[in-house]
Amino acid sequence: MDRRHLLRIITGVALALAACSDRPWHGTRLDPALAAPPLTVAGALADPATRFVLVEAKESLVVLYFGYTHCPDVCPTMLSDWARAKRALGADTLGVRFVLVSVDPPRDTPELVAAYAQQFDPAFVGLAPSEIELAVLMRDWGIAAYPEGDTRTNDYSVAHPAQSFVVDRQGRLVLMIPSGVRGEELAEDLRRLR
Amino acid sequence: MKSWPKIFVACVSTLGVAACDRPAAWLTDAQATPPLTVTEAWARAADSGATTAVYLTVDNAAMVSDTLSAVTSDVAEDVGLHISMAQNGTMHMAQLRALPVPAQDSVPLRPMGAHLMLTRLRRPLVEDDTVVVTLTFVSGTTIEVRAGVRKP
Ligand SMILES: [Cu+2]
Repeated sequence: MDRRHLLRIITGVALALAACSDRPWHGTRLDPALAAPPLTVAGALADPATRFVLVEAKESLVVLYFGYTHCPDVCPTMLSDWARAKRALGADTLGVRFVLVSVDPPRDTPELVAAYAQQFDPAFVGLAPSEIELAVLMRDWGIAAYPEGDTRTNDYSVAHPAQSFVVDRQGRLVLMIPSGVRGEELAEDLRRLR
Repeated sequence: MKSWPKIFVACVSTLGVAACDRPAAWLTDAQATPPLTVTEAWARAADSGATTAVYLTVDNAAMVSDTLSAVTSDVAEDVGLHISMAQNGTMHMAQLRALPVPAQDSVPLRPMGAHLMLTRLRRPLVEDDTVVVTLTFVSGTTIEVRAGVRKP
């Protein structure tokens, strides 16, 4: 590393310490924060753990991502970053819930998404909305998700939102995390929201 | 993706023309520094039947460019060259027909970008397992890559 670069880092750290409250967020703050849209997934009748209602998750910070289990690159990268963030948070992770919501009802069952999310961390929640629940979700959250490629086969991919959403304890949508944000950076943002 | 016939190192490269003058010297040079090498290869762990990705970096030490044109592997029913990209806040994936590797340059395939996509895995990929993937270039070079499996 050349010295100018090092100097810039040191100056950066000094500035950040001097103005702690103003240090930038890694994600995008929503200011003013809005009430988060509703999110209700009934899940499998036989397994209450696959059911999720966002308003019932008050008192915890909820990190949400809309993806799918056949996603080979982007979704597992996001979930590994979540796992890294959770490890970095350590004990602070209490009261933070990480939730993957599938946007691929034809292929993703409640059991499959739950098992998929738990591969990254046993505490991660994986939800499979029905077609109707998903349509409502996309409308309420203003997000786009649709199959791409050869949908006649089982090998299509699904376009889905690039960022994750963070809902605070008061049920407000406060932060959006773009896909480039690393685990440690996400942990920093979440710590500030606790 | 269709697999190309294997062609051996001696007739591999675009350096072949220059080599005609002094074949022996060229052969030695070629063995010392192969024009194309692959480093940092790894595969993401996944269940049998699932879809996953292999990442790697292709280094081209030659004075001429080459193009990765085909990828095969026994580990999945389908293997392709893919790229993830964000457009107006939405993530998409697209198939790449080929991936150019410029002369004396390296091309990284890393998460959130270009990747080798393994569709319908024939067996589960577990940590510390190895996946063999064969890369074929337009020059005729084929490289057998051993990618270590890492946690999802
Ligand atoms: Cu892909």
